[in-house]
Amino acid sequence: MTEVIAHRGFHGPSNEEAIEAIHNELDALWDDASFVPDMDRMTFATAVIEAAANIVQHALPVAEKPVEIDVDISVRPTRLIARVSAYNAREPFANDMQASMPDSDAESGRGLALIEALVTTVTFERQDGTNTWILTRNT
Amino acid sequence: MQFSYEVNDSYAEVKSVGRLNMVAAPKLREVVNEVVAGGSSRVVVNLAETDFMDSSGLGALIGCLKAARQAGGDLRIAGVQPQVKMVLELTNMDRVLTAYPTAEAAFGDD
Repeated sequence: MTEVIAHRGFHGPSNEEAIEAIHNELDALWDDASFVPDMDRMTFATAVIEAAANIVQHALPVAEKPVEIDVDISVRPTRLIARVSAYNAREPFANDMQASMPDSDAESGRGLALIEALVTTVTFERQDGTNTWILTRNT
Repeated sequence: MQFSYEVNDSYAEVKSVGRLNMVAAPKLREVVNEVVAGGSSRVVVNLAETDFMDSSGLGALIGCLKAARQAGGDLRIAGVQPQVKMVLELTNMDRVLTAYPTAEAAFGDD
């Protein structure tokens, strides 16, 4: 349908190293798609890292297998798309899905509200023990 | 991510270099708590070399601000880069964490 101009991905255990690895994949993606404006790179990368950090911080395993994180990012002619998934994960708690900004003295709870402010669409899917956030940003 | 600090006559400057994400956030809290416990409650976090901050990094800055104020001082930020500025504005925290052009300017007026 629409052409994928550049693509990067990551799959591994849900931990701090994954966050740094995803950052590096994003940096490499922009090297492959240098036409993407700085503002779009900045906003989209922030949303992807927020979604990945949300998984690392909050996703709980559904059984004995540990949670794994999977990120699939593609650049299309007029759109950036990221699928950020937690494998072997329980359904998120309602509190973890809070999308409004907390009080100014709160030290956490801004992640999802920030994601919504950064991208064009946010979709959540749950299938077979996998939670997936699909983030898109029109460029 | 690296943090270092320097205590001056009127304030302490904490330099943050790299990505201020969920990995680095607890380290920033540790460093600022150490600075405040050492008697410097006027703290500037210099973000000139921080090109990325997420909500965990922001949460750490808010925690550090509270720690500095509880000790009778304040925490200010300096050298804010475009991505950090964007995160501060989208979360309305630019009103709480005032950005100064340089560390020297942050406590320059008092």
